[in-house]
Amino acid sequence: MTVMPRTDIPVARNFKLLSHHELDGFGGIGEGMSISLTKDGRRILWLAHESAPKNFTGVDVTDPKHPKMVVQTALPQPYMRSNSLEVCGDILAVAYQCKEKGQTPAGMELFDISVPESPRSIAFFDASGPHSRGVHQLWFCDGEYVHMAAGAADFESHYKGDDQFYRIIDVRNPSKPHEVGRWWMPGTRVGDSVPPPERLPGKHAGCRAHNTNVYPDRPDRAYVCYVDGGMFILDISDKANPKPVGHWANSPPYHGFMHTAVPLFDRGLMIVTDESTSDAAADWPKLIWVLDIRDESRPVPISTLPLPPVEAFANRGGRYGSHNIHENTPHPTSWKSDTIVLGTFYSAGVRAFDISNPYQPQEVGYYIPETPAGSPKGAIQLNDVFVDERGIVYTVDRFVGGLYVLEMDF
Amino acid sequence: MSSRWTSEALTDRLFPAARPAPFGRAQKRPRGARVPVIVVTGFLGAGKTTLVKRFLASPEGTGTAVIVNEFGEIGIDDALLRGATDKTVLLGNGCLCCASRSDLETTLQELLADARLGRVPSMARVLIETSGLADPLPILQSFVSDRGIGREMAVDLVLAVVDAVDGAAMLAVAPEARRQVALADRVVVSKRDLADTDAENAVRAAIAAINPQAEIVVAQGGEIPASAWAASELPRSDFLASGALHSEGVSSFVLPFPRPVAWPAFAQAIDALVALRGADILRMKGLVAVEGLAGPLVVQVVRHLVHPPVELTDWPDGDRAGRLVVIGRGLERDRVAAVFDALLAL
Repeated sequence: MTVMPRTDIPVARNFKLLSHHELDGFGGIGEGMSISLTKDGRRILWLAHESAPKNFTGVDVTDPKHPKMVVQTALPQPYMRSNSLEVCGDILAVAYQCKEKGQTPAGMELFDISVPESPRSIAFFDASGPHSRGVHQLWFCDGEYVHMAAGAADFESHYKGDDQFYRIIDVRNPSKPHEVGRWWMPGTRVGDSVPPPERLPGKHAGCRAHNTNVYPDRPDRAYVCYVDGGMFILDISDKANPKPVGHWANSPPYHGFMHTAVPLFDRGLMIVTDESTSDAAADWPKLIWVLDIRDESRPVPISTLPLPPVEAFANRGGRYGSHNIHENTPHPTSWKSDTIVLGTFYSAGVRAFDISNPYQPQEVGYYIPETPAGSPKGAIQLNDVFVDERGIVYTVDRFVGGLYVLEMDF
Repeated sequence: MSSRWTSEALTDRLFPAARPAPFGRAQKRPRGARVPVIVVTGFLGAGKTTLVKRFLASPEGTGTAVIVNEFGEIGIDDALLRGATDKTVLLGNGCLCCASRSDLETTLQELLADARLGRVPSMARVLIETSGLADPLPILQSFVSDRGIGREMAVDLVLAVVDAVDGAAMLAVAPEARRQVALADRVVVSKRDLADTDAENAVRAAIAAINPQAEIVVAQGGEIPASAWAASELPRSDFLASGALHSEGVSSFVLPFPRPVAWPAFAQAIDALVALRGADILRMKGLVAVEGLAGPLVVQVVRHLVHPPVELTDWPDGDRAGRLVVIGRGLERDRVAAVFDALLAL
C-alpha cells in the first residue's frame, strides 16, 4: 500500500523553526529579501511581495523568535509587481514590473528607510516604454550602482520574452539615478546585426536577464543569468561597455530559465540555479548546478545538488524544483559561506547542501512547512531564502504562507 | 596534508575553501549533519523498555524513531498505527516505532526515506533497543563507514542498563552483559529502589572495573534525567584509568595527546593497530589536535573499521588537549601508547 506524504505537518531535518509570520494576510513573497540595521539597534527584514496589492513589507527580526511587522506598503496599480528589492545603508531599491508592455509605472523606486515605519520616496527611475514591462530584478550592494534586469523605452526585442536586459544604474546621487551601461544578448534586440538566439523546443520563456550579481571580490565582473540564454560572465571594468568573457548554457536539452549565478571566489566555483516555472514539475529537471570556473572563459559543470525524487513532490500541488538560493550578498547583514548552499524548492521546502567536496554535494538539512492555510496550490511553495550574518534563515512562501524563521542545526 | 580515509584532500586543493577543509567542512559536533542514534543495550530484565518508554513520553523524546528487536516489548497496544506499513508505528506522542526486520540497515534506510518524503513525521533521532542477549558491536559497526547508513546516521550514545539488584552477579557470569557495559558511553543502574546500598556499590564497582570511563547514572523510579539521553562526551584527557586487563582481557584506557599531532604519523599508528589488532579493538574514540588544522579531529574506530575523521569547529569543552579512549581485548595501555609514541617521534 502506498503511504501518502504528510503535508499537514512540517517536515524537518537539521532545521528548527523559530517563528512564523503570516504578514497580516498578505503572505505571498517574491524574490527580494534584505536586512537593514536601524540607528536604534533594530534589525529590519525587507520583503518584496510576489504580486499586487502589496508592495513591500518590513519585519523587525531583532528577536528572531518574535518577528514584528513594522510597515507594509501597497502598489498603486493592480497589474504591478515589486518582485525584487535590496537595501544598502538607509536606501531601499524596489523593482517595479507591469503585466503588459507599455503599462506604467514600471522601473525602480528608491526609498529612504532610516525610519523604517515610514519609508520616504527619494526617486523613481523610469524603465517603462512601449516594449517594456519594467524591472524584474535588481542588485544593490555597493551604495553606488544598481545592477538590474530591465526593459527600457528604447529597447524593442524580436521576441516577447526577450524584453529585459542588463542595465547598470548610477545612484551615487540617489535623487538622480541614471543609466551608465547596458548589455543584451546579441540578436535579441531589433536592429542587431546577428539573428535572434534560437528558441528552445517546447515551452520557451525567452532570452532575457534575470539575476545580475556583482561582488566586491571582483567589482569588474557581473554574473548574469539570461533565462533561456544561459549564464554570462561580463567584464564590467568599463561600465559603459560590458563585454562577455564567459558563457555556459544547458538548454537544450534542459528546459531553460537559468536564474541565479553565485560565484565562490576563493574556490573557483559557481552555483547556478534554474527556475522551475511549471506546476507539477512539468519542466523537470530544474536543478542547481555546481560549475568549475577556475577559468572563467570555460565554465565546466561538475555536479548538481541532490534533490529528492520528482515522483515524491511533483504532485503535492504547485511547483517543485529549483529556484532561489542564498546569494552571499555582500552586505554586513548577510551570511557568507563557500561550503554550504541553501535553496528553495517550492513544495520541497528549503534545503541545505554541503559542497565542501563539490564533486559530491551532500544534503545536510531541509525544512518543509505544512501547507499554509488558504494555499491556492495545496502545498507550501517556498520561493526565496536569505540568511543573516547570525546564521538565522528566513524563507518565504510564494502565495500565502508568509515568513518562516529557522535556525540551522548542521 | 594527507587525509587518510577520506577523498576530500585532493578536491580541497583544487577548490580551496576559505577555511581549509581536508576532512570536509568543519562540524559543530561529531555527528555533523547526520541523524543522531542512541543505542540502548542491557541484559534481559534489566529494565531497558521501561526507560525507553519513559523517555518517549517525555518532551525530550519527541520525534524519536524507535527500532526494537522484539515487537511487543515496547507496548504497541497503546500505539496509534499510521501509514499501513508493516513495521512503522506512530506512538501516541508522535514517536515512531519500527520492529526490526532481519537487516537493521534496510530498516534504517527505509525510515530515512520515509522521513525525507514526509511519510512519517520529522525524525529528531533514532533509538535502537537491542535484545537482552545482543552484542551491540555489530550495530556500532553498521555506522562506522562513510558509505551506506554511516553517511546518514551516527551513534551519539550507547546506553547500557544494569539492574542494581543482581547486576553485579550478572556481570560476573554473563559475558554478553560485560560486553554491553564495556561498549557503553553511559551506564544506567536500574531498580535501585529494590536494592540495598551494598548491592548498588557492588554493581558500581563491577561496572567501573569493566568500563572505568563510563558515566554511571542511577535511575529513580524508572527514570533518568533528560541529560542522560544527551550525546556522550569524551572523558577528560587527564582521566586516570588503570588500563588493567579484566576478565576476558577487556581493557579500557585513555591515551592523552596534549600537543598537536602530525596527521600522517597518527594515521599510520591507527592503521598499524587496526591491521594487527583490529579484531581486538572494540571501540577507539577520541579527539586530537592536528598540526595545520584549525579545529580538533574526531577519530572513531570499531574493530577493523575506521570512520572518516570529522573536523570540529571548536573543542566541545574547556579541555583542549587531545585524548583517545581505547576499549579492547588484550590491549595493554603501555603497548598501545608505545605505537603512537614511536610513530609520532618519526
